[in-house]
Amino acid sequence: MNGSRTHRVDLDALQARFALRVASRLSEQSDKLPHDLSERLRVAREQAVARARQLRLAQPATAPAFQVSQGSIALGQPTPGWLRLASVLPLMLLVLGLVLIQHLHEQAEIHAAAEVDAALLADDLPPEAYGDPGFVAFLKQREQ
Amino acid sequence: MANDKELSDFLKSAEKRAFKRTAYAVRDEDAALDIVQDSMIRLAEKYADRPVAELPLIFGRILSNATMDWFRRLKVRQAAVQNFSELESGSDDGDFDLLETLEAVDGNWAMQGPSERMSREQTLAIIDAEVSALPARQREAFLLRYWEELDTAETASVMGCSEGSVKTHCSRAVHALAKALAAKGLKP
Repeated sequence: MNGSRTHRVDLDALQARFALRVASRLSEQSDKLPHDLSERLRVAREQAVARARQLRLAQPATAPAFQVSQGSIALGQPTPGWLRLASVLPLMLLVLGLVLIQHLHEQAEIHAAAEVDAALLADDLPPEAYGDPGFVAFLKQREQ
Repeated sequence: MANDKELSDFLKSAEKRAFKRTAYAVRDEDAALDIVQDSMIRLAEKYADRPVAELPLIFGRILSNATMDWFRRLKVRQAAVQNFSELESGSDDGDFDLLETLEAVDGNWAMQGPSERMSREQTLAIIDAEVSALPARQREAFLLRYWEELDTAETASVMGCSEGSVKTHCSRAVHALAKALAAKGLKP
């Protein structure tokens, strides 16, 4: 039984050695591939590496647009706080200006309405008179 | 995570073996090149972020799957039918003593003279042809195990079979090669 096991081990060892020797001859043979095949393999390899690079570079593009707008990717350095504030400042001023304009516009409208109301109330004629068709006709006639 | 250089170095080291292995299977150089190229792109797209040490096994699997896909497409087109089972060899080597042959080959290994080296190219071509003539599963197991240097478990994983089957395929492949080369008076 022991002899049989030794025989088996010998056979396995010889088998592995033979196989590795054949494999090394195959490597020798494959190293001598025709030039056009080698070139096509080289091109395929370069395309694959370029694809991997392209995908890797595409990942940082999904980072917040805020950083991209400041050119931090191109610089490859973290953006200082003051620069970040400076980039937001024009936008804040614009929004503030618009709010101010809207406010001034509203104030002007309120002021104009108040003036009309005050003039109507201060007049000797009651405001209801302007709703009377006869009085309106009288005014038109007077203008003519 | 493999960087561009590591990925490129790995592909460079594997591309010729991958091409030969595929060419043995599909017996068409253009198709083999397409399969290898597709496999490289798949590796680059999906697995380039994996550690370099894992790439050989992953690439082996991708290549095997791509080759199987090629056969499936071929079958669908019915341009040609490659039946793996018909390539299985019969066991007509009853009196062939593998141990004796291997021992003889091993003993003569260091004794190659200049004249023998002259016919090295022919020897390489014959070995190439004999490997190509092996049944598909035996050849795949043999090449993965001894050429790609995957271990038995990894080979089984790539081939989608048990480790026992890998050992059997490898043993039969060595047996067939030793017999074929001995018959031609060659040693690898």
